[in-house]
Amino acid sequence: MTEKQQHIRNFSIIAHIDHGKSTLADRILEKTRTVESRNMEEQLLDNMELERERGITIKARAVRLSYTAKNGEEYIYNLIDTPGHVDFGYEVSRSLKACEGALLVVDATQGVEAQTLANAYLAIDNDLEILPVINKIDLASADIAGARREIEDIIGIPADDCPAVSAKNGLNIEDVLEKIVTDIPAPKGDSDKPLKALIFDSHYDPYLGVVVYIRVFDGTLRAGDKIRLMAQGSEFEVVEVGTMEPFGLKKADSLSAGEVGYITASIKTVGETKVGDTVTHADAPAEAPLDGFRDVHPMVYSGIYPADGARYGDLRDALEKLQLNDASLVFEPETSVALGFGFRCGFLGLLHMEIIEERLEREFNLDLITTAPSVIYKVDLRGGETIMIDNPSKFPTADEIQTSYEPIMKSTIITPTDYVGGIMDLCQERRGVFIDMKYLDTERVELHYELPLNEIIYDFFDALKSRTKGYASLDYELKGYKSSKLVKLDFMLNGEVVDALSFIVFEDRAYSRARKIAEKLKENIPRQLFEIPIQACIGSKIIARETVKAMRKDVLAKCYGGDITRKKKLLEKQKEGKKKMRKLGSVEVTPEAFMAVLRLDDDN
Amino acid sequence: MMTTDSLGLYVHIPFCVRKCNYCDFCSFPYSGAAWRDEYISALCSEIRSYSHKKIRLNSIFFGGGTPSLLTSDEFCSIFAAIQDTFEISPGCEFTVEANPKTLSKENLDAFRKCGVNRLSIGLQSIHENELKKLGRIHNFEEFLDSYNLARSFGFNNINIDLMYGIPEQTIDSFRETLKTVHDLSPTHISVYGLIIEEGTPFYKSLDSLTLPNEDIECEMYYLAADFLKANGYSHYEISNYSRPGYECRHNLKYWRCDEYIGVGLAAYSYFGSRRYGNTNDPRVYLQRDGAKYEYDEVIGLTDAAYEYAMLGLRLAEGFSLSDYRKRFGEDFYQSRSEIIDSFIREGYLLIENDRIFLTERGFYVSNAILTELI
Repeated sequence: MTEKQQHIRNFSIIAHIDHGKSTLADRILEKTRTVESRNMEEQLLDNMELERERGITIKARAVRLSYTAKNGEEYIYNLIDTPGHVDFGYEVSRSLKACEGALLVVDATQGVEAQTLANAYLAIDNDLEILPVINKIDLASADIAGARREIEDIIGIPADDCPAVSAKNGLNIEDVLEKIVTDIPAPKGDSDKPLKALIFDSHYDPYLGVVVYIRVFDGTLRAGDKIRLMAQGSEFEVVEVGTMEPFGLKKADSLSAGEVGYITASIKTVGETKVGDTVTHADAPAEAPLDGFRDVHPMVYSGIYPADGARYGDLRDALEKLQLNDASLVFEPETSVALGFGFRCGFLGLLHMEIIEERLEREFNLDLITTAPSVIYKVDLRGGETIMIDNPSKFPTADEIQTSYEPIMKSTIITPTDYVGGIMDLCQERRGVFIDMKYLDTERVELHYELPLNEIIYDFFDALKSRTKGYASLDYELKGYKSSKLVKLDFMLNGEVVDALSFIVFEDRAYSRARKIAEKLKENIPRQLFEIPIQACIGSKIIARETVKAMRKDVLAKCYGGDITRKKKLLEKQKEGKKKMRKLGSVEVTPEAFMAVLRLDDDN
Repeated sequence: MMTTDSLGLYVHIPFCVRKCNYCDFCSFPYSGAAWRDEYISALCSEIRSYSHKKIRLNSIFFGGGTPSLLTSDEFCSIFAAIQDTFEISPGCEFTVEANPKTLSKENLDAFRKCGVNRLSIGLQSIHENELKKLGRIHNFEEFLDSYNLARSFGFNNINIDLMYGIPEQTIDSFRETLKTVHDLSPTHISVYGLIIEEGTPFYKSLDSLTLPNEDIECEMYYLAADFLKANGYSHYEISNYSRPGYECRHNLKYWRCDEYIGVGLAAYSYFGSRRYGNTNDPRVYLQRDGAKYEYDEVIGLTDAAYEYAMLGLRLAEGFSLSDYRKRFGEDFYQSRSEIIDSFIREGYLLIENDRIFLTERGFYVSNAILTELI
């Protein structure tokens, strides 16, 4: 190991949501004097407005800091931030792979929670040295000893001398900085070997093209080098290499083993640089790539339509812009009879979907109509072919289907013992298969279930929250596909199928869902001049029906001479309102009513 | 110059004893109206501004407010201005709106002398609690006194205004109101649904009102229609019923897009292809300069066609398709035959003998139908 390598520490900060990860990152930046505290905007690493508002990190970012330790020597710290939500599990794992160690932040008032564990396991899987940090010790309800005990008992790592800090008040941050030097190993690797560098993130810059974030394991990378991305097989010429400083990119001559930095290579879209891929030299390639590359695929699909059909082009431009920085967002044009032109969009999960929708609405000022989220089903056809289905409209008819399958998630729920009964009921209702239950301590339990993803996206988070007063936490990952009796549920208004309302559902669920949505349609469709029959059907079989009665009253009683102008205005206003209506077959509904119907809530 | 024939004149009297809780018409408490004299002289000078136009009237309508609050002298001086300015056709319909308790021997006598031949009295309900809710100043007995007094003065053509959808009103109480009023056998009955308008006391206290729900209101509408039709009244406009031959000639002008002149605060005119109207601000009106109107619009062919259909369909007689074609050069039916046919199928609309008109059911959803048709 070179002298230089011995003075590098690559680490991440991992935590359950709201345990103070970003605040600790800020303090570290501040204490390494990289950022003047008074100039610092809160939570520098989270640089999207939305992230800051939600207090979560969506995309990983990295920053290079320098720290003069008590031993008088100067160290380079590469702090690699990780996304904090279950939807971005793979990205988290790649960020961790770029590190030798991880600070595991545990809230002294909350203790170990589901994502604390999930993240700790991820770190252990990646052979990281875990350095626990107990946070929020300034709060009256802080239980430092309890948190230490939980870390030792539940995660199984020593915590007797781990730092106890208040990131908010900047208390004991030096302890953390010193521990990084002593506890986290310096990066190994040989700068003279063939190049092996891990892509752990990328972002699109309008001037530089794609900026690729890498961690070099072996070899040395310089501007002008011809590189190959091993999983993709594509080749580029490096334009620039450098490091990520707190206030921007800084060009460097080279990046060598153990270092974290960026490259630019006239790459046009982030989709060309897959996270987890290995960068090597085109003319002297490494024998094998770094292990663990996975092509991530969307798990949740939804149709997104502009509320105002004329803004289809704007929506497309907006999605393209978002995709520049988010390779996991996929979309393709889709046409719905009910909603017109829009896009079928794929997301890593529900949070990812919400974030995209919110960014479209906020940053691009679009009003959207989104259809119910759907997972990807797998169907073996009688003809022997197997198809994947991301859109209810593609679901085959019953007689074409040999077997249908749905994605099943390995789910971990950590909860105070009081709520175990309620959670078990919930999981039972949601077709969960109980795997096991572990007491983490006398007050908390870790439950393992296999749950269909289709049940999780159907309002599972809210149901869990309401049954546990928000104390339970959920984490899940794809386990695989399981055969399941699935049917497509259609809704007809006035005898016409409204394609945007169709969804795929577990057969036994079909009746209750059909009834519920038929009722919602009845509540939300304004009375019109004609009676509107609502029917829910599977194939040609009608399983629920409701009727919206004809409107009885819509009249302006008095109308004198002077009222004519006013009356005209009223009528015109009413006509304007009609223009905003969405035609569902021959039935008109407001976009709000449409969304109300699609909004998933309550149990079943 | 040719005499313009058969116009209607509307005269607005913006004074009331007090403002009712639902009222969004342009009116002010009379006692506080120190500007009454000024108003009447401004009104008279507005009337006189038409003197060079040689207009003949066949309907005059004093509305408000409460025109019956005018003293005999005031009324007569306004009428004198009308007489000086316009030619009044023999048999001209001459209506004055009145509220119970404001009719007296004195003003009824003045009305008679000036040629008033029709009264329109606001009753709204026979029930004390409902009248109180509405903020009316009278009870049913006081109405009866006024009604009988008017009859004794020879006023036989009387309209009574009723209302449904009143807070606390029930189907039964409304039925009783209808029956009682029918027993008085007025020639004309107007039945309005209460609308809570912005800016009224009702609007402000909306949460505390116990209003009949939409279904009940609907039932009341059909109750009135069924009951009055069964008792010899024709339902000739959405909110108006009359004995045959007693339709309000003046109001028909609005719905048939005939010309009329409105004078006074907030009054509108439709005259010479223009619709124009006065301010509703008394201070502005009192200083108005002759021919300047706050609102003034030339009604082009497109607007005229729109209004013709919109207003014509308020009437049971609807409008004549050939007349529409003649006026606007467009075939009303051909250009929207699909939707008209579907309304006919659903029983909202009818076409008979060249006339298109709404059915009883169609009346009550006329807005929704109009938004599809025009």
